[in-house]
Amino acid sequence: MGLYDETVEVPRRTMVLFFVVDTSGSMNGSKIGTVNSAIEDIIPEIADISDSNADAQIKIAALQFSTGAKWLDSQPVSAENFVWNYLDASGVTDLGEACLQLNEKLSRTAFMNDATGSFAPAIFLMSDGEPTDNYRYGLDKLKQNNWFRKAIKVAIAIGEDANKNVLAEFAGNSEAVIDVTSPKELRKWIQFVTVRASEIGSKSSNAGSNSDSGSNEIETKQDIMIQEIQSQKDDIEWKEENPFEDDDSLQW
Amino acid sequence: MREFSKGQKIKVKSGGELEVIEKLGEGGQGIVYRVSYNGKEYALKWYFVNKLKDHKRFYMNIENNIRKGAPTSAFLWPVEITEYFEGSFGYLMRLRPKEYEDFSKFLRAKVHFSGINAVINAALQITTGFRVLHNKGFSYQDLNDGNFFVNADTGDVLICDNDNVAEYGKAFGIAGKCRYMAPEVVTGKKKPDIHTDRFSLAVVLYMLIFVNHPLEGERTLKSPCLTEELERKFYGIEPVFVFDKNNPQNRPVENLHRNEIKLWSLYPDFVKEAFQEAFSRESMIGNNIEHRVTEKKWQEIFIKLRDCLAECPSCNNETFLNLSQPESKCICCGKVITNPFVLKVKKNEIALMPSKKIYACHVIYDSEDYNQAMGEVVLSRSVPAVAGLKNNSGRAWTAVASNGVSKSYESGQVIKLMKGLKIRFGNDNDGEIL
Ligand SMILES: Nc1ncnc2c1ncn2[C@@H]1O[C@H](COP(=O)(O)OP(=O)(O)OP(=O)(O)O)[C@@H](O)[C@H]1O
Ligand SMILES: [Mg+2]
Ligand SMILES: [Zn+2]
Repeated sequence: MGLYDETVEVPRRTMVLFFVVDTSGSMNGSKIGTVNSAIEDIIPEIADISDSNADAQIKIAALQFSTGAKWLDSQPVSAENFVWNYLDASGVTDLGEACLQLNEKLSRTAFMNDATGSFAPAIFLMSDGEPTDNYRYGLDKLKQNNWFRKAIKVAIAIGEDANKNVLAEFAGNSEAVIDVTSPKELRKWIQFVTVRASEIGSKSSNAGSNSDSGSNEIETKQDIMIQEIQSQKDDIEWKEENPFEDDDSLQW
Repeated sequence: MREFSKGQKIKVKSGGELEVIEKLGEGGQGIVYRVSYNGKEYALKWYFVNKLKDHKRFYMNIENNIRKGAPTSAFLWPVEITEYFEGSFGYLMRLRPKEYEDFSKFLRAKVHFSGINAVINAALQITTGFRVLHNKGFSYQDLNDGNFFVNADTGDVLICDNDNVAEYGKAFGIAGKCRYMAPEVVTGKKKPDIHTDRFSLAVVLYMLIFVNHPLEGERTLKSPCLTEELERKFYGIEPVFVFDKNNPQNRPVENLHRNEIKLWSLYPDFVKEAFQEAFSRESMIGNNIEHRVTEKKWQEIFIKLRDCLAECPSCNNETFLNLSQPESKCICCGKVITNPFVLKVKKNEIALMPSKKIYACHVIYDSEDYNQAMGEVVLSRSVPAVAGLKNNSGRAWTAVASNGVSKSYESGQVIKLMKGLKIRFGNDNDGEIL
């Protein structure tokens, strides 16, 4: 027996990835269908990222909101064990209620309770409409929450009717809001954000060492996420315009 | 940027074309493919060009590194660079053999070292790699758990991601992990250089040997949410070593930091003292940050450690012998071991247990080569209780008994071990059996 046979893993922190999904009636059809399959398909990749990451493990929590809001699991589930249950869409858009529920769980006595500590979470909101409840109260409360304030926050505005101002307020920045108009785009963005937010959120950061020396502003994980979204936006536009895009798949 | 499919051809700068075989993986800066070029297989790292701050400079730096050549064979060094293609480029390096595992897998306890000897070998190889790299005027800049692959059986190491490596004084804005960065890099006071590499090296060596992080203990655990500001504090502004001699604030936590609690109690003091120096306040954020423990010093420590490694006669496990005492206690079964003969040569003391090897760094007066075995302790076939040192050095050694009688031993011959015996290895490099 060797001295190193019984080493145990170096304690990792936990990074919780939150999906906050609008399941109001307007999402019914291809929107919720795309959300379901895009998330389902990307989960194994998140499990891989978590598995090979010695800095932190990734856990997932999902909150759906329509008439009221509901957690899909009673605790965050490790990415390896997480299964995405297909969501159905009906009812109104109680975003305020979702904010309150999120606020309640973003606490050391609720979801953020790992003994080895956590990195700030990544929170990913998807919505296609206008809040129907008094979202102001809930959102203001949530914005006081320290976990929320430190989180990586990204929102996807699905279609023309999404209230982008509210989403920008949630994400803290209009650049962290992504507009999508087609199912293809929606899928691409969900997967991109899920992967990159997981990777950035779950790794030891550069702690701002790249920030200009002298300034006390630290480049945050959220800043990095936003830069990546911007450069991906440029890239996707380039892709969409590329008439030779499907060359790869053609056989000659 | 699109992903390449099988059969994609890309021009290589020095001539010819590579052909993509399959995707191997993806990282923050690009995608790695298996490719063929000139009838051989390589790994191709293809960049996301928009992730590089100054891709022209980056390209030139890789070209320069290719020209200068790999410091040692432990580096998966760039060997060829491609021409620009669809706005980006990549470089070719050796493929990693499959018996090498990501270091992060050791940290995740998915892979375990075969034993102490393998750990020491890995430590020596990483240290030597950095020593040669630094002597050539390069600094690595971005050492972390994703940068090397290790063979769990032998401890052999391959160092990858050599694209950030730059010559002294040059630095790329790197987005490393602060868990592995020197404090002055974390706080943005300095760009990576040789001194900051030395800090990162100490972190990696500690994690290799004690399988926990040197700066993560009671104090860092108290914070439920490790924000970027707190990371800056714990790894940059006020780092505290878990076994700091003067500051007990950040001790390992029982049941959580189990590996280092156990392993720290078993390793010899000279190893622990070196880490206490490397992670002292002075060496981390005080006046010694440009006088950190050097690669040469680490090399001496790990050679010394290997010299006192022995197999316990009772339980057959590896243990360290305390050669300053007549006997030692097995770190595994706790039984008392009578110390064997010791060869004292240069600054080294080698425990001459059966099958113990001595190396060029011991017997050749000006050598630091710890890899090339030059002799081995063997037992007599006729009288198994008698041990001898077999000369495998390729040159004659002279043994001088305490009464002054001497005899020459050619390569292949065995010198019977006796207390007080002197062995002349040549060029005034004399050893003595204690
Ligand atoms: N020479 C190689 N042979 C075989 N596989 C390799 C080689 N180099 C890298 N890989 C694999 O390719 C993948 C991507 O490697 P790469 O170094 O680009 O990314 P990374 O280390 O994950 O991230 P980063 O770009 O941030 O350093 C990894 O899974 C790695 O194991
Ligand atoms: Mg890498
Ligand atoms: Zn024993």
